[in-house]
Amino acid sequence: MRVTLSIPMITAALLLSAAAASAEQITFVSQGGAYQEAQTKAILDPVAKLLGITVNQDSSPDAWPVLKTQTATGKPVWDVIDTPTKDCIRGGEQGMIEKLDFSKVPNAADIPAEYKTAYSVPYEFYSSVLAFNKKKYGENGPKSWADFWDVKKFPGTRALRSHPMATLEAALLADGVPADKLYPLDVDRAFKKLEELKPHVTVWWTSGAQSAQLLADGEIDMEMAWNGRVTAVIKEGAPVGYTFNQGFLQETSLCILKGAPNLETAYKFLNAAISADIQANFPAYIDYGPGNPAAYKTGKISPERAAQMPSSPENAAKQVLISVAWWSSPAGEEAQKRWASFIQK
Amino acid sequence: MSMSPINPSVAHDRRERRLVLLLLAPALVVVGCLLVVPLGWLAWQSVRQEGGFTLAHYARFLTDDVYWMTFLQTFRMAFIVTAAALILGYPVAYVAAGASRRWSIFILAMVVLPFWTSVLVRAYAWLILLQRRGLVNSALTDLGLIDAPLTLVNNEFGTIVATVHILLPFMVLPLYATMQKIPPELTMAGSSLGGTPLHVFLRVFLPLSLPGVVAGMVLVFVLTLGFYITPELLGGGRTYMVSMLVSRNIEVYNEWGAASSISVVLLACVFFIFRIASLVIPFERIMGAR
Amino acid sequence: MTLPKILLRVFVGLVLLWLMIPIVIIVPMSFSGARFLAFPPPSWSLRWYEAYLASPAWMQATRVSLTVAVSSAVIATVMGTAAAYALNLANSRLVRSLQVVLMLPLVVPIVITAVGVFLVYANVGLLATMTGLILANVMLGLPYVITSVLVGLRKFDPAQEMVSRSLGMNRLRTFFIVTLPQIRPSVITGLLFAFISALDETVVALFISGGQYQTLTKRMFTALRDEIDPTIASISTLLTAVSFLVVMLVALSARREHRQNAAS
Repeated sequence: MRVTLSIPMITAALLLSAAAASAEQITFVSQGGAYQEAQTKAILDPVAKLLGITVNQDSSPDAWPVLKTQTATGKPVWDVIDTPTKDCIRGGEQGMIEKLDFSKVPNAADIPAEYKTAYSVPYEFYSSVLAFNKKKYGENGPKSWADFWDVKKFPGTRALRSHPMATLEAALLADGVPADKLYPLDVDRAFKKLEELKPHVTVWWTSGAQSAQLLADGEIDMEMAWNGRVTAVIKEGAPVGYTFNQGFLQETSLCILKGAPNLETAYKFLNAAISADIQANFPAYIDYGPGNPAAYKTGKISPERAAQMPSSPENAAKQVLISVAWWSSPAGEEAQKRWASFIQK
Repeated sequence: MSMSPINPSVAHDRRERRLVLLLLAPALVVVGCLLVVPLGWLAWQSVRQEGGFTLAHYARFLTDDVYWMTFLQTFRMAFIVTAAALILGYPVAYVAAGASRRWSIFILAMVVLPFWTSVLVRAYAWLILLQRRGLVNSALTDLGLIDAPLTLVNNEFGTIVATVHILLPFMVLPLYATMQKIPPELTMAGSSLGGTPLHVFLRVFLPLSLPGVVAGMVLVFVLTLGFYITPELLGGGRTYMVSMLVSRNIEVYNEWGAASSISVVLLACVFFIFRIASLVIPFERIMGAR
Repeated sequence: MTLPKILLRVFVGLVLLWLMIPIVIIVPMSFSGARFLAFPPPSWSLRWYEAYLASPAWMQATRVSLTVAVSSAVIATVMGTAAAYALNLANSRLVRSLQVVLMLPLVVPIVITAVGVFLVYANVGLLATMTGLILANVMLGLPYVITSVLVGLRKFDPAQEMVSRSLGMNRLRTFFIVTLPQIRPSVITGLLFAFISALDETVVALFISGGQYQTLTKRMFTALRDEIDPTIASISTLLTAVSFLVVMLVALSARREHRQNAAS
């Protein structure tokens, strides 16, 4: 009896899911969380409305492996991804990312050449900053990576991302390497310095959500986290402070998968998403800076708001721009492989 | 052959055998295509590199400490989890087997109830409870039992607590099934012959419950070896299990050869454990079909 | 009652209490008013239930999960019951080794299964499809059904089938009229386990589901990585309630049947 009941259920469910697939659509992939939620309001919904398309969303904090496997099958499911520029470049070099036909992306003309690559257009800027618990340290919290490493002056639990990018840079800054002499990274020196701090690191976080929860719970006293995650926690009323000083400025880019199921719609989407007008919506929803600098000229972003953006000139000056080129080099790849053994021992 | 007169019982046997195969076929096809074939492919992949035969993927176990250290940590974890599950599960099964029908149903229901709550969410519940400012630490601090909060999670301990919690039913159920079949007259006879309760338990009940102990231990041990989600969420990024090594090799490094060789070694361990256990009790019995 | 006995019962009581802890925590947390997971919740609200019910993405994932769980449980029950019947019938060593093969999905560590299924699907184009999800969960559900039905069949007296067939009924009718009604509780138990295992399955779904066809557990896993908020707690509370209800219904119907049988 119960078994026969389920057949109409299956049919109903299948019909419902089929109905969602009728309009012109693309699958857009970002990194999830408050970041993706903000984008939905700032970029995705306005673009969908503007173009009259459906934007299916998927999220993957580390899209690279999925990208590799999806394109390896020749039938990717995703169309457009928002991912670190590095993945667009190496993906393009390995034939997994579409070489952009810029005649289909007229809005890219606004963007300085150094932000673009053959495979990608910049989407937004974020920063890995030092955040700390104000209840523990008051207003005089740690201000530099040297402070972060100083367990005598600043006792307490610490967390770092379980990933070498920005972490190795922080270790070198803590060890006294000047910011303008960081690259190429002295990997051995960086790991040696990290080894020093290792016993004091309570959590090696693997997702942005986890880093935010750690701060909100007070489970850790200081950590390196993405600035948008930190401000989200502060908005919830947690006693947390942070500094842009010695933060690491990074950008993510948009690129299109090779063999994307909806290539033409993907181009339309890409072009609309990086227009100055749409990009200027970003600061209203999240503390990440627009990837198209022309957005600052639209008048949508107030000077006060611009000052809170990681990519504003004043904040950018205190920070270090992560070298995508170095991390894409063989030495960078090697450093990433070395990370697993470092964590394990 | 087909010309010769067919013996009716042989024909019957043949028909019977055809029926058996026909009924088994769909299930076998599904398991064969989705599991046996890819396992074979993984084994093949583990000895291939750039079109030739190689043992390089296995050599890594000797040269790269990450590999054997991960196996060591995983086995360590499996031993601890199995021991803890036995210590917690045996008394539960014992009481359930000896209780009235109503009580034993109640106890078993309590044991399987958490099974209906997602493993993911349970992991977060433990995180909330065990963290530095979590309920447990603040209760202990308020009671004056500790001065500084204990590190209960984001390490091996937290992972063990959550893993045992998830796997306890796999220990209790086979134990209960075995104990339930031990005739009460046997233990009664033991005590009427003047044995102390402890003596009777050790001499009569415990040996008779051993098959259940073996079944439970094998299941819990093997399931821990393949655990994935809990250590990932509660280990603080430091508790590294074999399953994580497999998925990381595929997801991050795209190294199928390495992932394959790790899988093959892990599978070999699992089969070996079942083989050893099946010397004591039959395989079907471990899996619960008696 | 002797002291050791009391101590034993207290110990067992504590273990059972410990088993209940996560549920005790999760249910109140789902009614929290705060943005992050906190216990006890600083304020109360239904916003996370609204967040779940109002989100098309969550609803789509729920539909996918339910469709997968129901259809794979039904298919696994049919296939598994047939296989168990055959296993019970045969006594040759070969068939016995086939039983080991059919138990493999339970024995092989789940990550390895996931990688294997992923490989097959990548080659035949079943990644991120409904068919693929259902098939994978049929495979994972088979051992539960087979184990459970075998237990029922071993208790069943084969002489009854003989009698029915000597009365001229064919094998198929005999099975449905004589055998099935008697092993029904085991079949339902198997179905239930297959259903729950499919509903809760995460690791394989992480590898093979995507796009429109993401299961609830996959979404939950990525959501926990992306944004830890009480939505997850409210979904889990609902899931627990639903599973619980299903089990209760089955238990009740089994009981009623038992009574009816006893009365007739």
